[in-house]
Amino acid sequence: MIVPLAHVLILAGIIFALGLACVIAWRTNVIMMLIGIEIMLNAAMLVAVGGSRLWGATDGQVFALMIMAMTSAEVSLALALVVYLHRRKKTVNADEFDSMKG
Amino acid sequence: MSAADLWAVVPLLILSCGSLLILLQGAVVPGRYGTAIGVVATLVATLWACQPPVAPTAPVLGIATTPFARFFTAVLALTATAVLLLSHHYNRHREITGEEYPATVLFATFGMAIVASAVNLLTLFLGLEALTFAFYILVAIDRNRPASGEAGLKYLLLGAISAAFVGFGIALIYTGTGTLGIAQAMQGSLTAGNGNPIALAGWGFLLTGLAFKISLVPAHLWTPDVYEGGPAPVIAFLSTASKVATIALLLLLLPAARGALFLHLPLWWLALLSMTVGNLAALLQKNIKRMLAYSAIGQMGYVTLALLSGNGGGYEAAAFYAVAYTGMNLLAFGSVASLSRGGEVNIAEDYRGFGFTRPFAGGILALAMLALAGIPPTAGFVGKFLIFAAALRSGEVSLAIVGILSAAVSIYFYLQVAVNLYLQPVETPSDHNPASLPETATLGLAAVIVVFLGVFPAPFLDLIAGILP
Repeated sequence: MIVPLAHVLILAGIIFALGLACVIAWRTNVIMMLIGIEIMLNAAMLVAVGGSRLWGATDGQVFALMIMAMTSAEVSLALALVVYLHRRKKTVNADEFDSMKG
Repeated sequence: MSAADLWAVVPLLILSCGSLLILLQGAVVPGRYGTAIGVVATLVATLWACQPPVAPTAPVLGIATTPFARFFTAVLALTATAVLLLSHHYNRHREITGEEYPATVLFATFGMAIVASAVNLLTLFLGLEALTFAFYILVAIDRNRPASGEAGLKYLLLGAISAAFVGFGIALIYTGTGTLGIAQAMQGSLTAGNGNPIALAGWGFLLTGLAFKISLVPAHLWTPDVYEGGPAPVIAFLSTASKVATIALLLLLLPAARGALFLHLPLWWLALLSMTVGNLAALLQKNIKRMLAYSAIGQMGYVTLALLSGNGGGYEAAAFYAVAYTGMNLLAFGSVASLSRGGEVNIAEDYRGFGFTRPFAGGILALAMLALAGIPPTAGFVGKFLIFAAALRSGEVSLAIVGILSAAVSIYFYLQVAVNLYLQPVETPSDHNPASLPETATLGLAAVIVVFLGVFPAPFLDLIAGILP
């Protein structure tokens, strides 16, 4: 393996942390939160593909493909919900959706 | 794939094809038979899962029809039947029409059955995401109430984050052990003394994601909002079946990693925080759905305590409590759905006098509160007793004491609702709409099960001891 596993894992860890930071910090825009979640899932795919390369098996690549399929379904659902809520409230700011408290 | 394999996965096929059939017939005769087909499909799947397989089959496509899988498939499909029956009239009153509701309920049940039957981390992940997807839709399905869409968005955002955690964790466990098979991966993560560092990191991410799914503190913040915003029958399904599926998942993973010391500390803290924070926060709630949400957090803390004390019979206790909790929460949210038909009545004071004006639904709600509080002779008492006994047997004395104390605190807020039900009403309620026949039958049957499990738990415990891996 030309790229050592440790490098793959470190890169994936950084990407995952960046995605999580994006979700936590960018609460004024639901779309940006969704992008952050995508970045976190990309990190998971990277680890799976790296593991697949390490063990010389295709399981990890299949796992990465399945995550891709799952992600696209999730994004379509999330965007449908964002459009629906935007029509109702004219905002995509996650902090504005605060009608329930306690 | 042989005929015997096909025969064994028929419950899954019935659930998935039933979901498609509902959508297809909706194009021909809209809004007529969706619920009926859903009820028939889930009942047939339950009965099929109950019969013993004709021949032992090897795992195919990452799913195996072990006794464990068949038991949980039957429980989950039966829960789906109850939810479809409970939601029929509720949905008609809220103008939630269309085939997508029963179709999505069936699809969620399909995902849960996949989780219970998985032998492969990939299938496990896909089943878990299939069921969570269905719940994103179901929570947001009531378009007449803004809170429903808002709850759906919150659930979706946090659910997607937890999916990323679970996916990252599974990918790390795979990288650390070189296999996606559950048994081999769990064994592999334990090798080399203290465990394999990459697989350990994977376990950390996996537990974080799963803590979200069963709403353990500190990953519980979505629970009250989603429970308050979502339609009551959907929350009955979310709070029972999705939790049972996740507990089944943990029961698949944890016994395979038995003796893993590194799991002890995180589970210990999750159990401690969930039991204390959940039960104490429930004391402060005025809205019954929020109160039930915090109580669910506390109840899942007890289940975590049971999972922690697997050496003393905790896995059996967790499986028993999962089923008992399903019955109790179906009663609680089913009667809330029945009582709130004319409009949202969810402040505890609004329930005053329902024991007289709506004796059946009020009585069911009171029974549910007694069962959740753990008062004999209900399943809640037996379940809590088993959990605390298992905890003491496996040496978790301090955690068991905290659990018993928090259970004692929880009696206050549960009984507050039960007492309110039987206080004289402030004013006479205007409408009399008695519970419909499907509601009455479902709630009656669930009540019988909850009391029966509390009086004669032995046969059921024998069954559970036989199915656990």
